[in-house]
Amino acid sequence: MLDLRRRSLVRRLVLIAGIWTLLVVLIAGVFLTAQFRDAAIRRFDQSLAVLTDDLYAGSSVDNGQLRAPFLTDIRATRVYSGRYWVILDKQPDGAMKPIERSRSLFDSDLMLSSAQIDQLEAAPGKTQYFDLRGPQDKPLRAAAVQARLPGYPDPVVFLAAEDRSPIDADADRFARITAFALLILGGGLILAVVVQVRFGLQPLFRLRREVALVRRGKAERVDGAYPEELSPLAGELNALLAHNQEVVERQRTHVGNLAHALKTPLSVMLTEASQQPGQLAEVVTRQAQTMREQVDHHLRRARAAARSQTSGERTPVEPILDELAVTLERIFQDKANGAGVEIDWRCPEDLCFQGEKQDLMELAGNVMENAGKWCRGRIRVDAVPVGEARMTLTVDDDGPGLPPEERAQALKRGQRLDENAPGSGLGLSIVDELARAYGGSVQLGEAPLGGLRVTLDLPRAVS
Amino acid sequence: MRILLVEDDPDLTRQLKLALADAGYAVDHAPDGEEAQYLGENEPYDAVILDLGLPKVDGVSVLERWRRGNVTTPVLILTARGAWSDKVAGFDAGADDYLAKPFHTEELLARLRALLRRSAGHAAPSLSCGALRLDPRAARASVNGEPLRLTSLEYRLLHYMMMHQGRVIGRTELVEHLYDQDFDRDSNTIEVFIGRLRKKLGADRIETVRGLGYRLAALPGEENA
Repeated sequence: MLDLRRRSLVRRLVLIAGIWTLLVVLIAGVFLTAQFRDAAIRRFDQSLAVLTDDLYAGSSVDNGQLRAPFLTDIRATRVYSGRYWVILDKQPDGAMKPIERSRSLFDSDLMLSSAQIDQLEAAPGKTQYFDLRGPQDKPLRAAAVQARLPGYPDPVVFLAAEDRSPIDADADRFARITAFALLILGGGLILAVVVQVRFGLQPLFRLRREVALVRRGKAERVDGAYPEELSPLAGELNALLAHNQEVVERQRTHVGNLAHALKTPLSVMLTEASQQPGQLAEVVTRQAQTMREQVDHHLRRARAAARSQTSGERTPVEPILDELAVTLERIFQDKANGAGVEIDWRCPEDLCFQGEKQDLMELAGNVMENAGKWCRGRIRVDAVPVGEARMTLTVDDDGPGLPPEERAQALKRGQRLDENAPGSGLGLSIVDELARAYGGSVQLGEAPLGGLRVTLDLPRAVS
Repeated sequence: MRILLVEDDPDLTRQLKLALADAGYAVDHAPDGEEAQYLGENEPYDAVILDLGLPKVDGVSVLERWRRGNVTTPVLILTARGAWSDKVAGFDAGADDYLAKPFHTEELLARLRALLRRSAGHAAPSLSCGALRLDPRAARASVNGEPLRLTSLEYRLLHYMMMHQGRVIGRTELVEHLYDQDFDRDSNTIEVFIGRLRKKLGADRIETVRGLGYRLAALPGEENA
C-alpha cells in the first residue's frame, strides 16, 4: 500500500498536501489555545496579587495579635462566593495555622501542600501562584506571599484564591471555536488541492486518452497542444510511434521482397518439372506448390501484422470499385464466348472504408474475381453505409451459386487457415481472414441474379 | 506471329523461349527494360510478354512509355506481385492481361492465344466527338489521346451517345440500350452513370436538357480528332 511509485499521482499529491495541512492546522490550534489560556490566567493572577498585596499592606499587629484589614471586596464576604482569602501563621513546627479568613470561606480552610509551603519559604516576599482545591472541591487559582510583620513572632502567609472554572470554560470555548475554524480551513485547503491537482493534471489525462486511441488504431499519432512540461513527452511518443511504424514497414518490405524473389525460381522449377515427367518431377511439382502456398500465406501474415499498427486510415470506396470493375472486365473479357463480363456497381461517393486501401482492394478484388470466375456474364456490386460506423459490400453474380451446405464449407476453410495449408480454390477464405482482421464478417447467400451473393460487413470511416 | 519476351531470369527465359517456339511463335528476347523499350518501339510485334521486375527500367515504366508513344501492341504482364493493387496498377499502365508467378506454361500459352485473337478482331471505324475518341475494335475510349478507364456499362452508354451525338437522348432510351433485359430500371440509374462519365470525360461534354434527357457534343472550338 505504501509503494508510492505505484499510487496514483493525484492521490499522492493530495496525500502529501493533506498531511501537511493537517499538521499545520494542528500545531496552530494547540499554540493558539495555549496562548489564550496563558493570557487569561495571567490576568486572573494579577487580580489575585492585588488582593494579597492589600492583605499584606493592611494587616497590623496589636499586642501580638494579627488583625486583618477591613476589605470592601463584597465577593469575599458571601459564603462560597468563589473568592476567598486567608492569613496563615507559619508555626515553628512548620504547621500552618489560620489566623484570619474571609467570610466567604465560612468554616472551611484553604490548605497548602508541603511543596507549596517550601516554595513560599524559598522566596519570602515574592508572590507565588498555585492551583488549589477549595470548598465544595472546586478548582481554585491562588496567589500567596510569605512575609514577616513587625511585632509578630512567626512568618505569615497571605493567600488569596478564586474559583478558576470561568476562565477554564472561556479557554475551552475558545479551543472549540478555534478547532472548528481550523477544521474548516484545513478541509477547504485539501479540497482546493484536489481541485488544483485534478485541473493541473488534465493534460496528462488527455495524453493518456490519446495514447489509448493510438493503441486501438483510432489515431496515428498523438495530436493536440500540450503544456511545455508535457509536449516533449508527446513529441517523444510520436517519434517512437513513427520509428515503430518505420521498423514494421521495413520488415514488411523485407518479407515481401523475399517472398516475391522466390516466385520466379518456383516458376522455373514448376515448368522444368512439367517438361520432364517422372517421379522426381512429381515431387518437385508437389513441393513447389507447397512452397508457393507458404509464400502467399506468409505474405498475407506480414501484411496483417503491419495492419494492427495503422488502421486509422480512411479509404474512399468508390474509386476502388471503379478501378477493380475496369480491371476485372479486362481480365474476363474472353468469358461467355467473348462477350465478357459486365460489372454494374453502385456506391455513394462519400462512403469511406476504415482501413488500408490495399486491404479493401484485396477484399473487394477477390470477391469480385470469384464472381467473375463463376458468373455467366453479369456481376452486381453494391456498397452501402450501415448504422453508425459499418458498411456492407454485396457482390452478386448470375452463375450457378453454391448450395447452403457448401457455403458453410467455403467459409470454414477460412477459419482454420492458421493451422492448415493456406490457399483455397475459392479465394473466399482469404477474404474471410482479412475481413475478420478488421472485425468484420463474410456471409454467403443467394443472389437475385441467380448465383452466389457474397456480403462483407466492414468498418466504415465516419468523418 | 512474332512475340517479344522481356524477362531477366535466364532459366525462365530458356523455358519460355522453348515453349513459345514449340507453339509456333517467333520469339525475340530482351533481358532488361532499356532494350525492351527500344525493341517494342521499333519492331512490329504481335504481342509482348513483359516481366515487371527488370534491371535498368522496370516493366511498368516500359509499358507506360510504349503507350505514351502510341505502341498499341497487346501486352501480357508477368509478375511475382499478385496483389489486387498491383494488378490494377498494371492494367492502368496499359496492360491487356496479367499473369502472376508462379504459373503453368500452358496457362501462359492459352492467355497469349486469347490476346492475339482479340487484337486480330475485325476492324471497325472509330468514332470521335471533339477530342473524345472511341475505338469499338479494342473497346477503348480516349480524350486527347489519353486513354479513359471505363467499365463496360459506362463504355456502352458512351458508345450509344457517340453514335447519336448532338441529339437529345431521353432517359428511357438510354436505359433500354444500357441493359439487355428488363433489369434495374430505377430512374436513378442513368443519373449515376452520366455522373461517372462526366467525372471521367470532363463535366462539359454531356449536357442535361431539362425534362428531355442528355446530349453529347464537342466542346466549342474543338475539331474532331
